[in-house]
Amino acid sequence: MIRPVTREALTGWLFALPWLIGFVLFTGGPMLFSLYASFTRYNILTAPEWIGLRNYSVLFNDPRFYVALQNTIWLVVVKIPIVVVVSIGIALLLNMQLPGEGLFRTVFYLPNVLAGVAAIFLWRWILAPEGLLNRGLGLFGIDGPAWFSDPDWTKPGLTVMGMWWIGSNILIYLASLKGIPAQLYEAAAIDGATGWARVWHITLPMLSPTIFFQIVTGIIGTFQIFTSAYIIAGDQVATGGPGQSLLFYVLYLYNRAFGKSGAGGFQMGYASAMAWVLFLIILAVTLFQLWLARRWVYYETEN
Amino acid sequence: MKSVMHRRAWRAGLLLALVALTLGACGGGQGSGQGNVDVLPTAPGLPTTNDATAPATAGQGQQPNTAISGSITFWHFWGSPVRRNAIRRVIALCAGNPQAQLPNLQVQEVFKPFGDIWTANIAAVAAGSGMPDVIVEDRPLLAQRAADGVDQSLQAFAQRDGVDGSAFWPFTWQQTLYNGETYGIPWETDARVLYWNKNAFTAAGLDPEKPPTTWDQIQEYADKLDQKNSDGSYARIGFFPLINTGADIWTYTNGGEWVSAEGQPVLNSQQNIETLAWVKQWVDRYGGWESIQKFRAQFAAPPQDPFMSGKVAMIVDIQGYSSQLNFYRPRVPTADGKTEELLWGVGAFPYKSKPANWSGGFALSIPKGAANPEAAWEFIKCATGQAAQTSWARDTYALPANQAAANDPTLIADPNWRVFIEALGNSTSGNYLASYPNWKEQLDQRIDRVWSGQLSPEQALNEAQQAVQAEAAP
Repeated sequence: MIRPVTREALTGWLFALPWLIGFVLFTGGPMLFSLYASFTRYNILTAPEWIGLRNYSVLFNDPRFYVALQNTIWLVVVKIPIVVVVSIGIALLLNMQLPGEGLFRTVFYLPNVLAGVAAIFLWRWILAPEGLLNRGLGLFGIDGPAWFSDPDWTKPGLTVMGMWWIGSNILIYLASLKGIPAQLYEAAAIDGATGWARVWHITLPMLSPTIFFQIVTGIIGTFQIFTSAYIIAGDQVATGGPGQSLLFYVLYLYNRAFGKSGAGGFQMGYASAMAWVLFLIILAVTLFQLWLARRWVYYETEN
Repeated sequence: MKSVMHRRAWRAGLLLALVALTLGACGGGQGSGQGNVDVLPTAPGLPTTNDATAPATAGQGQQPNTAISGSITFWHFWGSPVRRNAIRRVIALCAGNPQAQLPNLQVQEVFKPFGDIWTANIAAVAAGSGMPDVIVEDRPLLAQRAADGVDQSLQAFAQRDGVDGSAFWPFTWQQTLYNGETYGIPWETDARVLYWNKNAFTAAGLDPEKPPTTWDQIQEYADKLDQKNSDGSYARIGFFPLINTGADIWTYTNGGEWVSAEGQPVLNSQQNIETLAWVKQWVDRYGGWESIQKFRAQFAAPPQDPFMSGKVAMIVDIQGYSSQLNFYRPRVPTADGKTEELLWGVGAFPYKSKPANWSGGFALSIPKGAANPEAAWEFIKCATGQAAQTSWARDTYALPANQAAANDPTLIADPNWRVFIEALGNSTSGNYLASYPNWKEQLDQRIDRVWSGQLSPEQALNEAQQAVQAEAAP
């Protein structure tokens, strides 16, 4: 005789089973294997050979590991704040209930619907030395840089390009703006709060859980940047673009895994070690943010 | 969680699209650094074998081998119409019809994009299924493929059938060896030559039939060929060494090398330092790296490239570039504002200490685990034989690895072809470093900083040498 509680638990597990099987086979399994592989020399053709912590010790003495980390952190530090500020700004404008709101909402979201790779190729032309953007700047007498060929300007170029895809961020901010109760603003208006005071004391605190979520996922996403760097580096993928300026962490990991960097051959062991180090870095950054969140994120239902 | 899943799916989609696009972008079959040109030569006097009337020369003095039957797959990356048809003609000579060398064998040729073919093969070999019977390998990387266990040793077959490499250019055969055994039979090769603009030579008072042959001469010629606009910018530059040829290649003409005969890295040798300093001198001559970059930004693919546009009077490029010149027949501006047909010549790679050249190219190999190695070998033997190689060379103007085919009377009748063949006689290919096949990345990472003046040639090469020595395979 099965007790009802056990039976309920059993049913629960049964329902969760398809996901569990999928997770174990397609996510958990490969993850565990990559952890094992990170302690081996493995070129996919011959059996992995156990070398202990060697991959990790080589990694921490690898100058390109630090170049890649620097490039990646540059992008995290510069791009994320700009994305947050610009997308909140646009969301606030879209929330002013002006005519044409629906149209603009569509326009801002449209780039996310387009095939990303095709769009990146498009941006390569826009940011070419004689491209659309530099011609536009030329109208204002500004001599635009060689965005994707000058090592100093490749990452700013990526940041400019990234602004095109903030539509989904805007949409999420807009959704939570709509969720802020109108009576809060009414109460503030009665107390004589002006527009900016209302934004600062009502909108932003009420928005802070969303901002927090966007920053956390944005940082994780930026640490994993690959596609755009891969395309823009073009035939310089192996060296990480002009002056190694596009050698981001995952691009370097890819170069190692598929034999474009390092001694030669597929270096899956080394690449796996890199993946786990990146995992730990992201974990640490995220835990730090969770700790920091207590100081600035406001949850209305908190108690 | 849901949004994370979406993000994943989105990324997976991106990645797939990326793969698809990369494959599409490389579909031309143009090898990086190998620079195969898929354009038929159309110059008068050049042989073209587009006609079906070309006699099938397979089996000259050889009995057809009817014992080999069944079907094999053959992976290549020759997607352009010219090369695709050329490889089909090679296959027709070798297999699948009563006149062929192997009448009972069917060869399925499969086009794989250049960016994908070797990764796909390695993945198939690792998985143990899905690999082709014959694959076109990048010869300079063949030793690494052998070391990694991707391809089979062909030594036993070669010994049995008396294939010892004597039919091929010696350096091409050398490149196929790993631990003394051959892992592929040489297919085609290339060579670097000087192209010069005869119109510019005449206008500058130089003999249009006499190209420079040494580093010093090329400098003297360039002094006369440089031409400035009224604002001080260059209308035409005489010569620039880094157009389609790297400093790593130039060093061979200075007696330098990157990997010693003993297989050790010698990146910071005196000759290499000298070569980089010499190239840097050209960069400085034309206003520094930034000006060079700007100058280069105006160029695109042929016929908008530096040489065909008449903006650079002398360049060094592979022999295949001549078929592009033949195809485009570029016109260049004259002093009185009209245009005229660009007349060009082909000469030896200018040298400092002794004539030299560097050649890449491809080989035909059999992946490990291939279903039908015996038939694959017979096909490779025929395809790298004189008849098939001559057909390939006449159709594509690629330099055949087979020496008898390279000296085919119709081909050798073209004076340019003779220059190519002479260049091959000086060629080397030995820059394989067993402990670090990717060693060149350490040079590539630093070379821009040499041109921009951030690093001296000596510093850059010392650093690169140290890095190559330090980086053992983890």
